[in-house]
Amino acid sequence: MALPDLLPILVIGLYFLGTVLFVVGSALRQELLKNAALGLAALGFALHTFDLAQLAAVADAAQALTAGRFLFCLLGWGILFIFLLLWWRLKLKFLAVVAMPLALVLYIAANATAGVSAKLPPMLSGLFFLLHIGTLFASMALLAMAFGAGLAFLHLEKRIKIKAGLKTFQKDMPSLDTFDRVNHFVSLAGFPLYTLGLASGYVWAWLSARRVFSLDPKEIMALIILVLYAYLFHQRLAMGWRGRKPASMAICVFLLTVLSMLGINFLVPTTFHGFKP
Amino acid sequence: MEKIIHLVGLNHRTAGVDVREKFALTNVADFEKSLLVACPLREVLALSTCNRVEILVVADNERCAGFDLAEAVLAHWAETCQGDPETLGAHTYRHTGLDAVTHLFCVAASLDSMVMGEPQILGQLKTSYRKAVETGTARVIINRLLHKSFSVAKRVRTETAIASSAVSISYAAVELAKKIFGELSGKTAMLVGAGEMAELAATHLLASGIEKLFICNRTYARAQELARTMHGEAVFFEDMVEHLKGVDIVISSTGSPTAIIRAKDIREVLKKRRNRAMFFIDIAVPRDIDPDVNGLDNVYLYDIDDLKEVVEENMSARQGEAVKARAIVDIETQAFASWLKALALQPTITDLLGRAEEVAGRELAKTLKRLGAVDDETRQALEVLVSSVSRKLLHEPICFLKRRTREEGTAERFIDMTRRIFNLDADQVSPDAHLDRRTLEDETIDCECCRDDALQDPGDEPQKPEGKD
Repeated sequence: MALPDLLPILVIGLYFLGTVLFVVGSALRQELLKNAALGLAALGFALHTFDLAQLAAVADAAQALTAGRFLFCLLGWGILFIFLLLWWRLKLKFLAVVAMPLALVLYIAANATAGVSAKLPPMLSGLFFLLHIGTLFASMALLAMAFGAGLAFLHLEKRIKIKAGLKTFQKDMPSLDTFDRVNHFVSLAGFPLYTLGLASGYVWAWLSARRVFSLDPKEIMALIILVLYAYLFHQRLAMGWRGRKPASMAICVFLLTVLSMLGINFLVPTTFHGFKP
Repeated sequence: MEKIIHLVGLNHRTAGVDVREKFALTNVADFEKSLLVACPLREVLALSTCNRVEILVVADNERCAGFDLAEAVLAHWAETCQGDPETLGAHTYRHTGLDAVTHLFCVAASLDSMVMGEPQILGQLKTSYRKAVETGTARVIINRLLHKSFSVAKRVRTETAIASSAVSISYAAVELAKKIFGELSGKTAMLVGAGEMAELAATHLLASGIEKLFICNRTYARAQELARTMHGEAVFFEDMVEHLKGVDIVISSTGSPTAIIRAKDIREVLKKRRNRAMFFIDIAVPRDIDPDVNGLDNVYLYDIDDLKEVVEENMSARQGEAVKARAIVDIETQAFASWLKALALQPTITDLLGRAEEVAGRELAKTLKRLGAVDDETRQALEVLVSSVSRKLLHEPICFLKRRTREEGTAERFIDMTRRIFNLDADQVSPDAHLDRRTLEDETIDCECCRDDALQDPGDEPQKPEGKD
């Protein structure tokens, strides 16, 4: 069996082992296990990168890029990338609990949707792809991190607020401030990326069909998300929101993007975004 | 006259913070004086801290026959605090006799504290005692009892490991702060009210890397003094709220009867600091910080009861040492019981004469050794001599004591004085005793006879009593 055939199994195996090991390491408070888990995930990430590069290098680029497998693969990769970035910048190992299972699920989903592809016209260029899919996926990956950090924040914050005392698990968690910094980073970097992604989509729609808005469910959903995201961005940066409110907001926005991604793409007939066979 | 000791009180185990707040004694000296008037008591000492109120009373057994002293004290206490006597009764404990002594020793040794082994309680007890001495409500028995309790505390601290890792409430609070803020370096803290507890908290905060410390006190001079030792910055009490916008952690322990930090002030402060998190630790009873503050976003308020939960864990490790400490307390209680028993005229006269005979016998033996072989007649003459000198010397003091014991209320004072002058209870007196009350520097307190005993030089001439030749 050649390497390309083995690659998905290897990546899934590494992500799976990494996830399990990280959860076990957290439960047993073993830093060594957690570090081993992150090592496995990093190795998986390297292979994952190689897999993506291989897909992108296929001669018929446009077709490859719109394939379901590639898109899911990219989203999973993006989430892990953002996690590694946060780990590096904020020393936030804890979010591996969110990033690793998500990357695993998305990678599995990518392989399950191997035959499916979006009904995108061949006019897609590399630039458009970068602007639209790249930015949106990056902001979704950021949101996924904010989602994990938000849940952790709300949980820990509640324990402290109601004075319930901290158990070993909560004592091992990073501080509230660290989780809030993730949220800040996500609002700061994610919102412009999301806006750029959406704007590029509308520009492309105008270029291709001479109309910006086609009442596509995906478009409506995206606009709702954009408004909420903008609200979060504004409140966070201009009004000095901190803590619980932005955490809840980021969780909402992430859940909506998941709904938009999975629910609409697979279940509702839409113009461009459908994966529905 | 036989004495009876009663102790009534409440602590963090028997009463919640609301009840403790309600029945805290804000003016202990007035309470002590009024209690002496209200009940037939000899001595009173009251201790009121954020975690406990202890009222120790001593009365004559005969005068109080058929009178429920504990009940009367409770009634007066409830009246002073304008609270419901039944609520108070339901949350208090009562100890009588040696139980009261044991309880007080446990309190002093911090065995009864919320955080076992914390050092603050001893300081608070010392302050209360000093005040009671100034007010004149602490006399012979309370004097002795308190001095004993301080020495018990010292023994427990040195002989057991109970205080070795004294994880105090403020330390637990620092741990919580780390959970909220992550690293404490670069953070700012403020101490409101500069009591002993506040100083301890400040030490912990500085050790955890707090960058700046403001110290705020109603008495600005006190704040300045503390700021100097803690390398902090003193703040006027009136400017406190203004300074809060730059402060992340506030530790409050003032004696204010009402809240000094209100939710509406903090709402404004939060706006100014763009919702950066704040952590309030209220170790005062009555509480200094409006409980509604905890309802605000990004603000965490812990009062003394909440911190109890946090520190509960490290209690268990110290339970083993507590057993050792209890043993010390029991031994000391028995020692106190024997003293109390001896605090009567007859045992004192017996002890006095016994002591005189013992000294005379010892000095006689020394003299005989120096003289070498003597005949029986000389020996008997010498024995009669020392015995009569010592007895005659004691004749006047004993007559004086007998006269005084016929007077109302002065017997114990003079008996105790006598016992102390002659050290009839064989107490170990530290060379540092009453250091703070001394006026003369480096004055040796050894007398000539002590030197003679200490040197044990057989070549020395026997000391001649002055004026008797």
